[in-house]
Formats: sequence, C-alpha cells, structure tokens
Amino acid sequence: MAGIRIDSVTKSYGGLTVLKAFSLDIADGEFVVLVGPSGCGKSTMLKILAGLEEASSGTIAIGERDVTDLAPGDRDIAMVFQNYALYPHLTVARNMGFGLKMRGTDAAEIDRRVNEAAKILGIGHLLERRPRALSGGQRQRVALGRAIVREPQAFLMDEPLSNLDAKLRVHTRAEISALHKRLRVTTIYVTHDQTEAMTMADRIVIMKDGVIQQIASPDVMFREPANLFVAGFIGSPGMNFLKTKAQAVGGGVTAKLFGHDVKLPIANAAALAGREIVVGLRPEHIAAGAGQVSFTVTPRLIESLGSEQYVYVDLPEEHRRDAGSGGEDESRRTSLIARLINPEPRPPEATLTLSFDPARLHVFDAASGEAIR
Amino acid sequence: MPRSAFLDLARPSRRHWLGYLLLAPAVLLIALIIVYPLFVSVDLSFQNVNIARLDQPRRPFTTANYERLFASEDFWNACWVTFKLVTIVSFFCFLLGLGTALLVNNRFKGQALARLLVALPWAIPEVIAVVIFAWLFDSSFGLMNWLFIKVGLVDQTINWFSSPDAAFAVVCTVMVWKGYPFVSIMMLAGLQSIPEDFYNAAKVDGARAWQRLIHITIPSLMPVIGVTLVLVMLWVFRDFSIIYVLTGGGPLKATQSLSIMTYEQAFGFFKMGYASAIGVITLIVCVIASRLMIARAPDNI
Ligand SMILES: Nc1ncnc2c1ncn2[C@@H]1O[C@H](COP(=O)(O)OP(=O)(O)OP(=O)(O)O)[C@@H](O)[C@H]1O
Ligand SMILES: [Mg+2]
Repeated sequence: MAGIRIDSVTKSYGGLTVLKAFSLDIADGEFVVLVGPSGCGKSTMLKILAGLEEASSGTIAIGERDVTDLAPGDRDIAMVFQNYALYPHLTVARNMGFGLKMRGTDAAEIDRRVNEAAKILGIGHLLERRPRALSGGQRQRVALGRAIVREPQAFLMDEPLSNLDAKLRVHTRAEISALHKRLRVTTIYVTHDQTEAMTMADRIVIMKDGVIQQIASPDVMFREPANLFVAGFIGSPGMNFLKTKAQAVGGGVTAKLFGHDVKLPIANAAALAGREIVVGLRPEHIAAGAGQVSFTVTPRLIESLGSEQYVYVDLPEEHRRDAGSGGEDESRRTSLIARLINPEPRPPEATLTLSFDPARLHVFDAASGEAIR
Repeated sequence: MPRSAFLDLARPSRRHWLGYLLLAPAVLLIALIIVYPLFVSVDLSFQNVNIARLDQPRRPFTTANYERLFASEDFWNACWVTFKLVTIVSFFCFLLGLGTALLVNNRFKGQALARLLVALPWAIPEVIAVVIFAWLFDSSFGLMNWLFIKVGLVDQTINWFSSPDAAFAVVCTVMVWKGYPFVSIMMLAGLQSIPEDFYNAAKVDGARAWQRLIHITIPSLMPVIGVTLVLVMLWVFRDFSIIYVLTGGGPLKATQSLSIMTYEQAFGFFKMGYASAIGVITLIVCVIASRLMIARAPDNI
C-alpha cells in the first residue's frame, strides 16, 4: 500500500487536449473518486496512472517511486475494467491467478491466495466455471477478485458498476466500500454517477473537460461547491439556479428573488454590489408552506415517489440564465424543482406556497461561475 | 381477420417451415451439382469402366478397383506425398499467416499498404502465379539459382525440376506463397475481434509481449484457427493446378498427390472407374480429417 502523487499531468491526442495540468495527492489507504460528465478525461487519467497510456507531460509517483515511464506490470497496481475484461478461455480461478502466474508465483501460493480472495467475495463455488457461465454480478466479483489476489499498492477501478442493474449496483457499491474498509488499499475509482461518488469516496475529484473543478470530501463538496458546475453536478436533483442582481443595502447585500429583497449570506459584501450573480438553492432546501422567504407558484408538474415529491415550477423570466451558460439541458434552465419530504397529497393544478431559508442560498458570480462566500 | 392456421408461417409452431422453404432452392441446386456427381463417381468406382458415358449400360458390380488401389505402390506413394504436402504447407502457411497478421495488426504508417501487400498473392490467379514461379526456379536463367549462387549457398546451378527433393520443395514454396495470405486475412479478422481491454488487463497483470501472445492472442484466436486450418488443409489436399502446371506430378512421382493421380488415371489413362475409387478415398479422408479438426476445436469462446 502506498500513497500516489500525480504532478501536473497533461495529455493531448494530436491537437486535442484531454487533460490539463492534473495534480492530485492521494494518501495511503484513501478512497478517491474521479467524477465528471462523459468525455471529461476520467478514463484517460486512470489509464495514464496504470501505464496503459503515456502522459504528454507531468510525473506520477506511487509510494515515493517515480513510475512515470514504468510498464503497467511493474507499477504494482491492479485495475478493474468497466466490462471486466475477464479472459473467456480461462476458469474463474485461473483468471484470478493470472497476474500472480505472470509474476512467477508458485502454484500453491496462487491457490491459497485465490481461495482466500474467493472466500472474501463469496465466489468459492464459482472457481471452476468459465466467465461466460456467470451472471453480470458474479463477473463483477471475479473482476474484483482478480484485483485483490495481487495484493497491489493500489486499485484502479473504471466504472466497475455501470453494467449492473440498479439494485445490484447499490448492493455492490456497499460491498466495495466494505472491502476497502477491510483491506485499506489506496483506491482510485472512476464514475460519472454522483451518487456513487458521494456514497463511497473519502475525497471526490470533480472534473470537467480535463480540468479539476474541485477536490473535497463529499460533505464539503455538497455544502460548499466551488463553482456553478460542481453545484449543479453534485446532488440529485441538481441545484436550482436563479439569475439576479446584487444590491448593497446597509452593511449587507440583497438580491431580488420572487419579488422579495432577500439578504444574501455573503461575508465580503462590498465588492459585490451591482454585479450580476447567480443564486443557487437546493431542491431539498425548499419547504412547503410559509417560511422566511415565501412565494406562491402554480406547479407545472408534480412527481410523487411516495416518501417525497418533486414539484416542477416554471422560473420567472427574469431569473432564467442565458441559454447555454451552464451547459445543462434547457428544462433545468427554465424550471425550479422543489423536493418535498413526506408531503401531503395535493392536486396538481392548485397553487402552492413554497418557502426557503436565505442562509441556505449559494451565491455565484454570473460571469465566471465561481462561488462567492 | 383470422388467417388460415395452416398457411400462417409467422406462427411459432410454423416458423421453421419458412426456413425450409427458403432453403429449398439452394438444397436442390446443391443436390444437382454436388450430390449427383458424387453418387455417379461412387457408382463408377464399383464398376470396371474406362471411358464413362451416361448412356452406357451398367457394368457388373466389382470391388476390383479398390483391390487394385490398395495393392498399388503408386497409391500409397501419393498418400504419403499428399500427407507431407498438407503438413508442411499448412504449418508454414500458419507461421507466415499469423506472423504477417500480427505485424500488420499493429498501428503504423502505411498499414493499409502493408495489408494490401500481404494479401496480394491471394489475388493472383493460381496458374499465373505458378508460371511466374516456374520462371523464377528455371534451371538455366531463373532468379533463384542466380540468387543462391550469389549468396554462396550453392556453387553450381540446381536443376529444380529434375531432383525429387528440390521439386517437392518448389511445390511447397509455391503453395505456401499462394496459401498464407488467406490465413493472414482470417487471423487479422480474428485479431481485430479481440477486445483491447484483454490486452490492457494482461498488461496490468504484468504479462510480457510473448506471454500476451501465448495466453491471450492464441487462445482467443482458437476458433478462427480451427476453421482456417480445416480450410487450408482441404485446399492443399485437393489443389491440382499448382502441382500440375509446375511439375505435372514428377519427377519420379515425387510430387504426385492424390488429386494429380486421380487426374492422371482418369484423363491420362482413361481409367474412370479406378480414378473414381481414388476420388472416393480422398473424399472419405477429407471428411474424417475435417470432422476431427472441427470437433477438437475448443468450445470455450
Ligand atoms: N485514442 C484517442 N484518440 C483521440 N481522442 C481520444 C482517445 N481516447 C480518448 N479520447 C478523447 O479523450 C476524451 C476523454 O476520454 P475519456 O475516455 O477519458 O472520457 P471519460 O471521462 O472516461 O468518459 P466516460 O464517462 O464516457 O467514460 C474524450 O473526448 C475522447 O474523445
Ligand atoms: Mg471512461
């Protein structure tokens, strides 16, 4: 086991720059999740770490050892692939022992370790089968098993759960977390699913277009997103954004929201007055009924999940951001979602009073998208 | 409107009818151009026929053709020649075919051109290829003799087509040259269907290049290898034009394979019944050999 230090790694394919100055320090035993939308360079970073791709510049060290120009097999890491990449002509046991065999470990030792790993993962009865005779979930375990028998310095996992159905995914997610607690091997996990990132990670690295947006623990990421992109990506449903203008009033700053002058939770108020800002409000921070700031709406759509309700409301024109500013789809730009916990049943056409606490608001610069605190 | 239960071919219970219906023309055609001649030749092989004519009255049934065949030294010689040819040519076809396929499967500049060059011998008609080689190996002004002398392998010209061993070697060379592109193309197709992640996983597992070849590439190619091997062996087994144009089966019957012998008996000595018997034996050997090859192809992919 060892820490990993990635120092300003870049990667370009011809003229296309896929990774820009990626730097990350990972502590020994840490579980780090790389998350971001499709095509942002997560897999590329992982392949560079594994040595399957060459970095255009920058250095990588695993446990104080510079591995930037080392062959994948000499880096002492194990990788779990999205499609598992189990060798179809080998039995499960041989698949798991393949890495040890390639390193010349003797047969008895391979057997012992394979059996041990199979016991941890509960796949002892599958050892003599071929991969094609396994279900998706079983293949996934074998792929994990192949990684853990090697007892490597670090695990790299590239979307290992994306081929499983929703229920199995939740189950396996918990299992991987438990496995990590047990083995304490440094793990780098790639996903585009923010729920996986939030539930599993010690630290999340959120990326967009090859640039790191924020590195933080799940809680900090949720409470203090560094910019509009992070705020919109973390959380489900994503944060509501309302465009408005900041005004200096007395010692503080207010913004006009739904016709009210709302005081913003900002420390350095002076610099902000008169600027275009975007105010962020999480769907779960909107409550039904009157509160500190209340407004009345006619819902466009109400989705009920039993224990909670998603209320979709058309945003007033003045709060809508310019098209294409956030990169997300049109409906998020023009609507506000409220997530009501344990709601009373209500007819969809009726008007509805919603409220929020101004202390829960997030404030972002409209031009740069950076958070203002 | 309910359709007639009998004619509704879309019903699950009738679905296989449609298949048979669509297959029927092809089956009839095959029966006409393959099965019928097959029966005729099996029939002929049990008669003492010299020139076969369909309007001839049937000759009495006899096993004389087969008795003569199994007693004939020429037949066993032809079997041995054929066996040697099949083994040697298939082996080198695979060596060259797999080698070139692995080479042109790499990404490099001019890859398309390289693939074209590898496949080129396949596109040249057999007879033309043989004529070119006949010239290359000509004893007095052929390129090969000149080359061998220049390099210093031999000190006097070899008469390629009058020494049994040399003639056999030339036949093998031409067959390999003509046959390896097919293997190469098949292997290339097989190679490209191996997922990149198998190699990535093997690399992370620490497998060196040759270990990846032995543990990933070859096993993944096994189904393709099995089929290709059968096709190549059958091709060598029954190839006629290369040997016939190059050596005619000589010298001293050193290159007389079963198909050459069949031809010679049928159209050289007009012993149709006897030739048919050789043909039938060839067929049986081919069927058994290919059954064995296909059956032992691993079922693991
Ligand atoms: N071999 C290549 N040549 C050129 N461009 C490439 C190559 N491999 C990847 N890319 C580009 O690099 C970018 C990042 O790819 P990458 O596979 O890292 O995305 P990702 O974040 O893993 O996405 P996903 O979540 O869909 O897997 C993409 O825009 C992709 O088109
Ligand atoms: Mg990816």
